[in-house]
Amino acid sequence: MLEVSGLTRRFGDMVAVDDVSFPVPSGGLTGFVGGNGAGKTTTMRMIMGVLAAHAGTVSWQGHEVTREDRRRFGYMPEERGLYPKQPILEQLVYLARLRGMNAADARQEITVLLERFGLGGRTKDPLEKLSLGNQQRVQIIAALVPAPMALVLDEPFSGLDPDAIDAMADLLREHARDGVPVVFSSHQLDLVDRLCDRLVVMARGRVVAQGTGEELRAEAALRYRLVLGGDAGWVRDVPGLHVRDVSGPEAEIEVVSEGAEQRLLAEATARGSVLDFHRVVPRLSEIYREVTA
Amino acid sequence: MRTQPVWQIVARREIMVRVTDKSTIIGTAIMLAVIVGVLGFSAWSESREKTYEVAYSSTTSQAMVEGIAERSTEIDEKVHIEAVAVDDADAARHALEEEHADAYLSPDEDGWTLLTLQDADSELRGVVEQAVEEIVLAGNADAAGTSAAELTKGSSVALDQIEGDSELSAIRWVVGYALAIVFYFASIMFGMTLANSVVEEKQSRIVEMIAAAVPLRQLLAGKIIGNAVIAVGQMLIYVAVGLIGLSLTEFSFALPVLSGAIGWFVVFFLVGFVVLSTLWAVAGALASRTEDLQSSSTPITMLLMVMFFGALYLDGVGEQIGSYVPPLSAVLMPMRLVEGTAAWWEPIIALVLLLAFGAALVRLAERLYSRALLQTGGQLSLKAAWKLEE
Repeated sequence: MLEVSGLTRRFGDMVAVDDVSFPVPSGGLTGFVGGNGAGKTTTMRMIMGVLAAHAGTVSWQGHEVTREDRRRFGYMPEERGLYPKQPILEQLVYLARLRGMNAADARQEITVLLERFGLGGRTKDPLEKLSLGNQQRVQIIAALVPAPMALVLDEPFSGLDPDAIDAMADLLREHARDGVPVVFSSHQLDLVDRLCDRLVVMARGRVVAQGTGEELRAEAALRYRLVLGGDAGWVRDVPGLHVRDVSGPEAEIEVVSEGAEQRLLAEATARGSVLDFHRVVPRLSEIYREVTA
Repeated sequence: MRTQPVWQIVARREIMVRVTDKSTIIGTAIMLAVIVGVLGFSAWSESREKTYEVAYSSTTSQAMVEGIAERSTEIDEKVHIEAVAVDDADAARHALEEEHADAYLSPDEDGWTLLTLQDADSELRGVVEQAVEEIVLAGNADAAGTSAAELTKGSSVALDQIEGDSELSAIRWVVGYALAIVFYFASIMFGMTLANSVVEEKQSRIVEMIAAAVPLRQLLAGKIIGNAVIAVGQMLIYVAVGLIGLSLTEFSFALPVLSGAIGWFVVFFLVGFVVLSTLWAVAGALASRTEDLQSSSTPITMLLMVMFFGALYLDGVGEQIGSYVPPLSAVLMPMRLVEGTAAWWEPIIALVLLLAFGAALVRLAERLYSRALLQTGGQLSLKAAWKLEE
């Protein structure tokens, strides 16, 4: 397990990352969400040791992470790129060697991955001759060889077409299934919701929510939708509720004090017919907006 | 999984990329062609025998031109003079314009006039001036009832000098300056290449992946060593070709005397080059894009200019002091060695000082390099880079 505790980083007077703690359990995908400037990239850079932390630690399997550990972490920085003029196989082998792999093994593993990504015939092409999507695939391979002990990926899905997004998702799931802790950041909340076992939400340098999707939803306020036979305007006067929306016979409410929804339902049936009354499960994007607001 | 040290992997890549780069190969080939061409041309023009056709239009001048022709090979073995008759001065002028003759010799009140179309070749002038002087002197001596040998007896001046020896001075001077120029251009050329390869990694953003995998010190070391291997390899090829070429010219006698000094030059070149390379790497790290390189490398190009002009203009005590002051010593000490004005222990002291300076500079450069390398938002000033935190 990869674990971050109390990470803090300042740039001048600005606190970019403030006392950030979260685990990245083995065998699962951890999604890292937050707006621009929330501190995701700074946190990931500190995890990888590219940026020094002013406080806090990163630990790997219970001990403070070492340079040798990090050398075996697969990393995809937000600002990424490779040598534009060098053939792709050659530069991937170079990067794998920097990370401690011998050339022959690296060549073999990379060739397999290039074939899997449909780039088997282009190993000798310089990177700049590839389409942007294919360049992105090469970038992914760079993070995957040698077989990583952990994956730290900053916006791995940005710039990918739908097919590549699926391929990337499969790949991440595969690594997670093999017991590799995977943490990745993304702006695509629905994608994160669909893929991830755990979520960490950051805003203004702090973690504002974290847990599994269910946990986050359970923490969110209970929400109900009500459809009446007549006008629903009176709903506003029921105590213990927060009315999110009323239009004609429809209303969506949030429970502020426990049991208020039962009083609401009793009153509604007393006043006339109730066509629909059900619990609304918020989408992650809604929860996200709430916790980061 | 531990294999090769990281700096070796980096250096190996630097070398491979450079060796297989077309522009490097073409550049090297052109440089070699220039060296071979220059040396070949000077060897050829040295050994070439030249024949000048000198016109005359009177019997007096006929006698003189024939006299010159007789003596020419004694004076300069590669020069032959042929006498050509013309009708008068106008015909001679015409012959010169039509290039039927190279020169026209005619008497005047003070002596003789040699008329040529443009500048007279130095070989022709030398032979004509000396021959005329000898012939006239012999004639005047005869008229005075004595001989030319009698008249010039005891007038010869032999040259001797306390420092160095006369025969070699000029060639030492030339070789010394040639080395300074080689150092200057090699530093700029290879320095720029290094700075470029640093900024390329920054611009393409690959550096963050590398930084996550290996210590930046190792990356810096590998790049500098790889670049130095290429530079020294290329210099060795040039120097070897140059020396072989030189041995075929009349200056070959200087080679054994200068070989020690040239050996020192290679040592100083290597150390000086590596020391300056760290600064080039910093210049590369301060830039964000290749376009910034011109301005971020200004301080180091200025330093190189100072070193270069120091080498050209420093003399005497100034040169002696300068030959100990790093990084100036990287150029001045080898120059003094070539000039033969340095004792055997002097280069050793200068080298130790240069190494100490280099060690300090490398630490400083490493700090600037590793801090500036991950800042991709525009060009950084030295001061801003120094203040950055890791």
